[in-house]
Parts: sequence; C-alpha cells; structure tokens
Amino acid sequence: MKKVIASVAALTGAALVLAGCSSGGDGAASSSDASGSASGPVTLEFWHGYTEADGKVLDQIVADFNASQSDITINDTTKTWADIGDQLLTALSAKQGPDLVALPAENLPIYASKGAFAPLDDWYSSSEAAASLNQNAVSMEKINGSYAGVPWGFVPLSVIYNKALFDQAGITEFPTTWDEWVATAKKLTIDQNGDGTPEQYGLVLPDHATVGNGVWASLFYEGGGEIVDKDGNAVVNSAANVKTLTYWADAVMKDKISPTGVDGVGADKLFTAGTVAMEVGGPWMASVAEGANIDYGLAQIPAGPAGPASSAIGISVAVTNQADDAKKAAAEKFFDYFYSQEVATKWSLGSGWPPLRTDIPASAVSSNPVVAALTPMAGTARPLLPGIANSVDVLAAVDEATQKALAGGDPTSLLDAANSAVSDALAP
Amino acid sequence: MSATAQTRRTYRAPGQLGGRPRGRGGPRPARLALAFLLPALLILAAFVFWPVISALRLSFTDSSGFGAEHFVGLANYVEIFTTPRILRTLGVTTMYAAMFTPLTIAAALALALLLNRRTLWGRGFFRTAFFLPFIISMAVAAFAWEFLLDPQIGLLNYWLQSIGIHLGNVLQDPNLALPTVVLVAVWKSFGFYMVIFIAGLQDIPGELYEAATIDGANAWQRFTNVTLPQLSTTLAFVAIFALIAAFQAFDQIYVLTGGGPYRSTQTVVMEIYQEGFKKLDIGLASALSYVLLVITLVLSLIQFRFFNRREEAIAG
Amino acid sequence: MSAVTVRSAARTSARPVVGRALAFLIALALAFAVLLPVLIIAVTAFKPPAEINAFPPGLVPTSWTLGNFTRIFTDLPFARLLGNSFLFAGGVTACALVFDSLAAYALARLDFRGRGLLLVVIVSSLMIPFQATLIPVYQLVAHLGWVNTFQGMIAPRAADAFGIFLLRQFFVSLPRDLDNAARIDGASEFRVFWSIVLPNVKPALLTLGIFTFVNNWNDLLWPLIFTTDPEMGTITSGLTLLTGPSGILPYGTMMAGSLIAVLPLGLLFLALQGRFIESVATTGLKG
Repeated sequence: MKKVIASVAALTGAALVLAGCSSGGDGAASSSDASGSASGPVTLEFWHGYTEADGKVLDQIVADFNASQSDITINDTTKTWADIGDQLLTALSAKQGPDLVALPAENLPIYASKGAFAPLDDWYSSSEAAASLNQNAVSMEKINGSYAGVPWGFVPLSVIYNKALFDQAGITEFPTTWDEWVATAKKLTIDQNGDGTPEQYGLVLPDHATVGNGVWASLFYEGGGEIVDKDGNAVVNSAANVKTLTYWADAVMKDKISPTGVDGVGADKLFTAGTVAMEVGGPWMASVAEGANIDYGLAQIPAGPAGPASSAIGISVAVTNQADDAKKAAAEKFFDYFYSQEVATKWSLGSGWPPLRTDIPASAVSSNPVVAALTPMAGTARPLLPGIANSVDVLAAVDEATQKALAGGDPTSLLDAANSAVSDALAP
Repeated sequence: MSATAQTRRTYRAPGQLGGRPRGRGGPRPARLALAFLLPALLILAAFVFWPVISALRLSFTDSSGFGAEHFVGLANYVEIFTTPRILRTLGVTTMYAAMFTPLTIAAALALALLLNRRTLWGRGFFRTAFFLPFIISMAVAAFAWEFLLDPQIGLLNYWLQSIGIHLGNVLQDPNLALPTVVLVAVWKSFGFYMVIFIAGLQDIPGELYEAATIDGANAWQRFTNVTLPQLSTTLAFVAIFALIAAFQAFDQIYVLTGGGPYRSTQTVVMEIYQEGFKKLDIGLASALSYVLLVITLVLSLIQFRFFNRREEAIAG
Repeated sequence: MSAVTVRSAARTSARPVVGRALAFLIALALAFAVLLPVLIIAVTAFKPPAEINAFPPGLVPTSWTLGNFTRIFTDLPFARLLGNSFLFAGGVTACALVFDSLAAYALARLDFRGRGLLLVVIVSSLMIPFQATLIPVYQLVAHLGWVNTFQGMIAPRAADAFGIFLLRQFFVSLPRDLDNAARIDGASEFRVFWSIVLPNVKPALLTLGIFTFVNNWNDLLWPLIFTTDPEMGTITSGLTLLTGPSGILPYGTMMAGSLIAVLPLGLLFLALQGRFIESVATTGLKG
C-alpha cells in the first residue's frame, strides 16, 4: 500500500520537475513586471498594434525618445489590434498590463467608463502640443467630460479605385456627387453572359462590419443624418437617414452596382481580385492594391445632399490605471515629444496617415502620395461614436438595418427597429 | 443459450457505465484511490473548480474584470431571461447542437465502420485523410472554406456557375448560415470522433461476430446486436462530448460568420465572449455561463440515463 | 498489417471483389470531398499574394513560389516560435497523459465512496466555457508569478476532465478478470495499473495524446492570454503577427506556416494509425 502511494508521489514529483525544467529557461523572459523604482529611471510598457512598416517607424520614434533623455525608458511591444483587445482585459485584471496602450478609438470609451485609464485632463490643459491637434481627432478621446486618451491616428475613409477598369470603361473624371457616383458605377458594372449576376461590379458597398464600421456612418453624414447626436440620443431613424438608406438600397438592388452580403474584409478581397472598380477603404488599401499589381487612385467619398463627409478611423493611446503618478508624468512627457512638429511629421509619413497637428502643411508630407491625398480630406472627417461605451450594440443594430435593407427590407421600419435598439444600448 | 450470449457474458466487463465494480478483495480503501486521483485533483481544483466557483460569485456582481465590483443579486440572471436578444442565443445554440451532434456521430461512426474493414485497400491512407481536417487550425480552415464558398470569387461557386447553378451567399443568408457553419464544424471534427470509434471497434472481440454469423445474423443484425451494444461506452462518450462541444461552439463561428447575419449564428459562447471581452460585463458573461452549464448538464444527464438504460436493457 | 491482410484475405476470399472495390470507391470519393479544403490550404501556401484572391479562382498556382515559406523565416523568429509550440503542446500532452490516466484508473477500477459524484463533477466542469473562467485562472497564474512562463501556460491544462473521462470509458470496458488475476498473484495496485491496464488502452492513450497535442498546438487565445511577451509566443499566435491593417490576414504565409505545422502531425498520425490495430493483437483480449 505504501509502495503505491510512494510510486504515485514519485511520478507526480517527476512531472513537476519536468514542469520546473521547462520553466527554468525563461526566467529572463518575464520582464514585463519590471518597473522603475522611485530613484531610478521610469520604465513604461507600451503595447500597440502597428504590425507593418508603420510599426518600425514607431519603434524608431520610441528609440529616439529613449535616447533623447535619461529619465524615461519606453519598451514598446507590437501586437495585433485583435490581440490587444483579448489581452488587455485579463492583463488589467491582475495588474499585469501595459502602462501605455494603443487601441482602436471606438474601444476607448468602454474601458474608460469602467475606470481602466488615467484621466489626462491636466495634460490637455497644460501642454502646448495639445492645442495644435486636430480637434475632430481630440473629440474621440473625451468620455463623460474627461479626456481618457490621446489621438495616435485619425484618417478619413476614402474611395480607392481601379484605374485600369476606369480606362477600359472610358471614364476620366472621378465622380463628385452621389448621382454621378452611381452613374459611374453603373458604367463599370458588366454582366457579360446576361444571367443577371454581373461578373464585374462598379462598386462594392459592404452592408455590415464595414471598414472601421464607417461606410454607413459616412453615407448617413453625407445625407444630413447621423447615428447618435451630440447630446447622446439615438437618431438613426431620422428622415435624412431613411432617404440615404433608400437611395443606396435602390442603387444596389435595382441598378446592381454592388454585390450584397459583403463585409469590410470581403470588400477588400474583391477589390484585390480586380472584380470591383471602387471601394470605400482605409489608407492601407493603397499598399494592398500595390501588392496585387493594381493601378489605383484615391479620392474623396463623393458628396451627398449635405455635402462631403466621412467617418474616420481612429487610434487612441491611453495611460492605464496601473501607472502611478511618476509613470503618468513620464507618459505625458512622451506625448509632448510625440506631438512635436518634427516627430508628428515623421509619424505621418511613416504611418501613411495624415498629420495629427493642424499646423503641418500638406507640402511637408507631400513625399508620401497617400498622405498627400488624404490630408486635405481630414477636415471633413468625423470620429465614430465618440464617448459611447456600448458601441458594440449600437454598431450591430445599424449593421442589421443596412444588411436587411440591401437584401430588400423596408428602410423605414428597419431604421425604426435599429433606433430602438440603439436607444437601449445608450441607456445607462 | 446461444453462443453469442455465452461469449457476451464472458467478455462483458462488470461495472460498465455506473454499475458498481465487484472487486474480489472487497471495497478498497479510499486512500488508495486518493493516491491515484491526487495529482489530477490538485490541478483541477486550482485551475478548474476554483475558477468555476469564482465565476459563480462573479455572476452576482457587476464586475468588469478589473476595478471595483458590486453585488447585484440576481440582476444578471434576470437580464438574461428578460432580454430577447440574449435568449435567442440559447435557441441558436440548441439548433446548432441539434444539427451538429447527430451529424457528427453518424459521420464518425459510418466512416469508422468503413475504415475498420480489414479488406479495405489503403486503410492507413484513408484514416489519415479523414483525420486531417481535425489537425488544421480553425483560422486556416476558415480561409479554405471562404475560398470555396465566396459567392463572387469562390471556387465551388465558380465551378457550379459553369454548369448553371448559383450557390448564393450561404454564409450571409440568415437561413443557411447556421447549417453551413454546422457542416464546416462536422467536417472539422468528425475525424477525431471517428478515431475514437475505431479504437472502440478494435476492442470488440472478433469471436462475437463469428458467433453471430454462425447464428445466422446478417450484417445489419451483427451491427445492432454486436457492434452497437459493445460500442456503448464509446458511443456514450462521443455523444456526451459532441453535445458539450456543440454547446460550446465558438471558434468556427468566430472566424466564419462572427455571429451574423443578424445574429442568426450568435451562439451562447459567442455572446459570453462579446459580453465579457468586448463589453467588459464579466458579471453578465459569468451568469450566462452558468445558464449554459445548467442546460448542458441536464441534457448530458438525460443522455447518460439513456445510455445507461440501454446498457441495462441489453445486459438484462 | 500485412499479416492481418493476408489472413483476412484468406478468410474472405470467397467474397466477390466487387464489394471491396465498391468500399474503396466510396472511401475515395469521400476522401476527395474531405480533402478538398486541405488541398486548397496546401496549394495556397505556394501562391504569390497577388494570386490568392484572384478571379477566376484557380486551384493550382500559375506561378509557384516559396516566398510564403521564406517570409515565415525572415519576418518571424520561426525557430523560437516552433520551439515554444513544442514545449507548450508537448508539455501539456505529457502531463495530461500521466495525470489523466492515473485519475481515470481510480474512477474506473477502484471502489470508493462518492466515485459517481466525482465523475459527474469532473465532467460537468467541461460545460463551463473557458472564456468564463479565463479571468480567475489568469489571476491565479499571475498571483503565482507565472505570467509569461511555460509553467503558467502548461499547469492549468496539466490535467483535464476530457482526458480523464475518455480514459475512464476505455478502462471501464476492460475485463476485470485481467487485473483480478494479477491482484491475487500479489501485484501492487500501481503495478496492475502500469503493467496490465495501461498497455491495454494504447489506442486510447494515442488518441488522447494526439487530441491534446493538436488542440494546444492550434490554440490561439490561451497562449495569447498567458504570454504577453512576444518572445513566449507559439507559432499559431506568432503567425497572426503578420496580420495586415484592418485584419487583412497574410493568407499565403498562414497557409505556409500551417503546412509546416501540420505536416509533422499528419506524418506522425500516418505512422501511428497502424498501432490502433497492433495494440489489439497484444491485449490478450482475443484469448
């Protein structure tokens, strides 16, 4: 009997030793909890999701900042945006998270409303740089009357178009109004075998999970409506929005200018495959198109009845409540450095997104044609659902309305249903 | 007394499925069992049972995972049962399970029987071929299926169109999205259950079949009188785990439809993930997890009963 | 294997070959349907990025490339990630096989009070989705100081209810006379477990081993949550680092990485699947 227990115990012991061995090699790897003591330099952990060339530029900016002074060291870690979303919650729950974190701007309010981030009102009121920032971008950061982050990127959605397909159709001018846009798309829609399903579409208008969730927000703005007004009320079923949705549902279903049931990622795929001529997309589509050997152009989303507008894709950086006062002060010093004219210009050119400061002239960023094309549009860009904690349910309600409308549903009743769902989501 | 009954009695293990074992040395001291159980129990206690109990506590709070939390009584449970949006995820999950479980068991068992034929050429190749989908990660598998199913640039659609069939947008059709996801899930997982069935089939003594053949049983009778009863512990295992897996459906939906269109594929675990990780409502996510636990437990116990009764009926 | 075939062929020689051919053709047709997505994955790994979403879609690349494979090695610390994957998935599998089989043995073949209840408790712990317990588990791991370590990734999965129940089902169906005879001869309980019961459930151990290894190898969320340090990432989580903006996945590279990961697993299975047959011959069940 004792022998049994002993042998089982020995086996358990062996397994634990095994586990111990495997852990021996990585003692040095757990550096994330290294923190600056009161006397020494302050070390900040910084998570961001810039995985492409933009990430290398950000690494360089951080390295330059670390070299420029000796009190603060920033360790930046590249993750994907999706990974940050999954890791941040658990990491914060055990105080293992970063001190600085970059995240899609629409995710900022929910974390901020649960007390994840340190308020930055003092920085906004004292920093010279803060005053020179694009105020539309800054408005993404205000949650319940307090600033929870700083804007790290703010780019308007634009239309990317396939120049070869435009040439084939003999189109030389990019449309500037909705009616022209639809007319152009019709010319570019080709149903060779006449089976009612075009082989080439003029436009891909995704009807759910659109790029930056902003395609329909942009169209609603251009039609004179919006999703939530500035007082925080649901206004999805406004007359303007019904008109906008009806207009585009007709264009897609009667004129067949776009495939239906496509999401943002699917739209990117179709554009890359060369089977659609135009797409509302983010700035990265420029390099994606290059990779697929597509000659492209970038243009502003054609204006609707209420003029040109676009929803912006935003990235915010926040200081987590894990950071103590010294770390928060250090983070604010880094912000000042980041927003200096020189660094802000460098970041704009490196990231391919328009400069965050309004006093950087377009000529300073003309060396990057994508930035040069997007910078003039930044003035008409609006943040998506700023300050709204439950953006998940709001966006799901709008998605359902647009997807059903493009499948033949009645825009008025769909937007009414969406409006009550949005109201529920906004209720405290 | 037929030869079949004779052999069956000889080869039946006493104490199958819940029957009490009849060890000849009488009941062995609990200490002995504890020695065998201890390592696993320690790990389960720390990393499974305790977190499960923590989740129960969290289900009565408004926890966000970090920061302050407050006791809210049954508020989270009340919200679940009064919010149609959330209740619907229970219906979607039940539909998913009702399709996935029988399809997976049938596919796995049919192929296990086919591949268990000694006379089949290339048996090793086929076993590996049918097992392959299981070892591919879901994210990679999703790419392949989207490549096949995409209504505009998909391969399957392209092939079918050349013979005049329009497949349509199956992953974005509110009526077809769930069955499509189920099909992909069955494709992904049947190979694993098939291997379990093969392992179970290998344990059936060949004499039982010989005896049954001598008794004049045809193929179907051999299947129902020998294979099924002898496979009952394996079958019970597969049925219960396929059911649990169905009620936990997440990966395949996350990558294929994200819960859409119109939440028609939004399962309970998708909702738990969204409430917990996207809306930071850990309290509600925990409560919903417990609702799922109770449903799955009740269904599993019914299943267990069913197999037990079959077992007794056969034994008696 | 060949011996078995010869023997069975002799026994069934009277049967028409038609039946065999039919079974073979059915298996072949089914295998093609099941393998089509796998084939897509394999060929995509050799496609240049511009061809992956091209229209019309093609199964075979018009220009083959190894660029996706080289990208894995140049853009990622591939060897490190691969090593991490092996340590993580291998560590979990080794631990789970040992601990699960011990526990399953007690639950299947030892008599003690509360056995049935314990089994129900263990199995029902599987019915709580892991997303719901992730935060408490993470907090515990963090409390132990194990975030970003292998033991932090492995320990929570070192024993699991699924494996315990799977092995218990196989243990339970073994004839009791086998071990009772050994007990009467004075063998210790551990000896009965180790020398008599375990060798009889090799197929089950293999099945569980492959299942555990594959699941952990392919798991994305778990290693991601427990290792915030990219140095500790696995190949599955590492490949996502090649994700472009707006969630555009690097399909070619993903498929190449997946192929490299799946190939050894597939070959391993091909090599081992014969054991399912072999082990039966050695059990003595046929006696």
